[in-house]
Amino acid sequence: MADVKKHDTPMCDELKKGPWPSFVDDVEQRGLHGKQECLDMLGQLELSYKHKETHWKHGGIVGVFGYGGGVIGRYSDVPELFPSVAHFHTIRVNQPASKFYSSAFLRKLCEIWDHRGSGMTNFHGSTGDMVLLGTKSDQLEPVFFDLTHQMGCDLGGSGSNLRTPSCCIGKARCEWSCLDTQAICYDLTQTFQDELHRPAFPYKFKFKVSGCPNDCVAAIARSCCSIIGTWKDDIRIDQSAVKAYMGGEIKPNAGAHGDRDWGKFDIQKEVIDLCPTKCMWMDGDTLKIDNRECTRCMHCINVMPAALRPGTDVGATILVGAKAPILEGAQMSTLAIPFIRMEPPYDEFKEFVDKIWGWWMEEGKNRERFGELIQRFSIQKFLKVAELKPIPQMVKEPRSNPYVFWSAEEVEGGWKRDIAEFRKRHAA
Amino acid sequence: MAVDKEELKKKVLEFATKKAAHKSKMYIKDLYAADPNASPREVKNAANELVREGKLEFFSSGSTTMYGVPGFGKTLEGAFEEEK
Ligand code: HEM
Ligand code: HEM
Ligand code: SF4
Ligand code: SF4
Repeated sequence: MADVKKHDTPMCDELKKGPWPSFVDDVEQRGLHGKQECLDMLGQLELSYKHKETHWKHGGIVGVFGYGGGVIGRYSDVPELFPSVAHFHTIRVNQPASKFYSSAFLRKLCEIWDHRGSGMTNFHGSTGDMVLLGTKSDQLEPVFFDLTHQMGCDLGGSGSNLRTPSCCIGKARCEWSCLDTQAICYDLTQTFQDELHRPAFPYKFKFKVSGCPNDCVAAIARSCCSIIGTWKDDIRIDQSAVKAYMGGEIKPNAGAHGDRDWGKFDIQKEVIDLCPTKCMWMDGDTLKIDNRECTRCMHCINVMPAALRPGTDVGATILVGAKAPILEGAQMSTLAIPFIRMEPPYDEFKEFVDKIWGWWMEEGKNRERFGELIQRFSIQKFLKVAELKPIPQMVKEPRSNPYVFWSAEEVEGGWKRDIAEFRKRHAA
Repeated sequence: MAVDKEELKKKVLEFATKKAAHKSKMYIKDLYAADPNASPREVKNAANELVREGKLEFFSSGSTTMYGVPGFGKTLEGAFEEEK
């Protein structure tokens, strides 16, 4: 049955004019083909543009029975104008690791959602979940039943919970992956089911897993605990392929910048001079790397993938505390563990997680992200809690980070301070 | 050292009910005060179990979660405003 568009939406319509497909077109089409919610949603959006204020009410119910997350309650504050979106709850669905789907899975999911919700989806939300946008309260349990019983999938995290862990495509398709990102992501999801489904923390907590320092899931920018694949041994070099790059037989960057003629490939200019630690050089026609100085930035490997590959002694670097700019500005995560083995059952990593969660649950203020907790106390306090040793890589540059002070117990032999003795020699 | 779970649930519920009279939505951190001997994890587990039993309820903005006692109403925006 075709629906009629009752609201004029000139400002929303502007968005259709750009070069890319617009969500306004998509939503409107779905609305004109039977989903009045879609048309009401656009109508309310138009009103919000006009008032420069949102017309969604803040929060409410948070889940299905037994869960304290995965459903985000949304209600219109102008339901008399837009009755079909009076209740318009969002459902987060835990995506499969690396976001692999069969077309049958997607069809089935869409069928369920067309039947029980607005038909609008968002693939994927920035946490990684599949996002089902807009349904009524009485549809939540049936949707959950169908997701779990028909699709074999679960709700994701929301609120003060662990958020749905996410990972890059990893070893499934990427030869650079130093980690089985999918296995790690799945294991964390299963291990921390309680934290994922029920609030446990002062605020949200995110794990993201990237197989190598290219960090395709932007773990370093977006997760409270970033797990990034790395290697300990030497970058593998195929010298004949290096020569082939230099001779122009292989395209640099796997041809990724091939839409323009950049001139002849210049290994000195494009690789060696751009190495951030200046640890590469040509010895005649042989490429040399001082691997002790390499920071695993991936640049040389990205430019010459057929010649250079990560090493084979692999593990992960763990960083903590990235967050978006609500308090104190955006923050990237800070190095915590330079190298850790990531083999199932990941006990060493989970012990680390346990320590930092314990600290945050104890000391974290309401709505304080883990990175903000570290900012409020100090890196030093974080290191004590996590039982880690300070290393130079934790300092961004002299004087912008706090000094690390040692206590007497931490230094061999320790020391005693006699303030009276000190004052004999130094006036207060 | 571990606190008896049923005891703790009783304390958390009493504490939350008393508090609900003047502040209807609480953070988990507020509930820690129900029993200073219990660890944050124990309080969290007790509170979540009370929700499953229908004696407490969750409220969420989508980004943060708060606990309430069924029947003690105040609009949700009010609850979030209160904390700012
Ligand atoms: C062998 C002798 C010395 C060594 C190895 C030495 C080393 C250092 C170092 C490593 C710093 C810290 C720099 C930084 O944080 O960026 C520093 C700071 C400083 N040093 Fe020395 N120093 C020496 C002698 C002296 C002497 C003789 C004076 C004064 C008469 C002095 C005055 C200072 C001051 C004022 C600072 C702080 C600078 C600031 O706050 O920006 N130093 N020194
Ligand atoms: C009229 C003379 C002086 C003035 C106006 C002065 C002023 C200052 C100021 C404004 C600071 C920065 C404080 C801060 O950032 O917290 C400072 C730090 C410092 N001053 Fe002076 N100062 C004077 C004389 C001296 C002398 C004679 C010495 C050494 C014999 C000295 C040694 C230092 C040192 C070592 C610091 C760094 C302290 C730290 O970073 O912990 N100053 N001074
Ligand atoms: S982060 Fe690394 S391993 Fe993962 S997909 Fe990107 S390049 Fe490949
Ligand atoms: S990975 Fe980066 S730091 Fe290491 S050798 Fe290559 S360019 Fe240099």
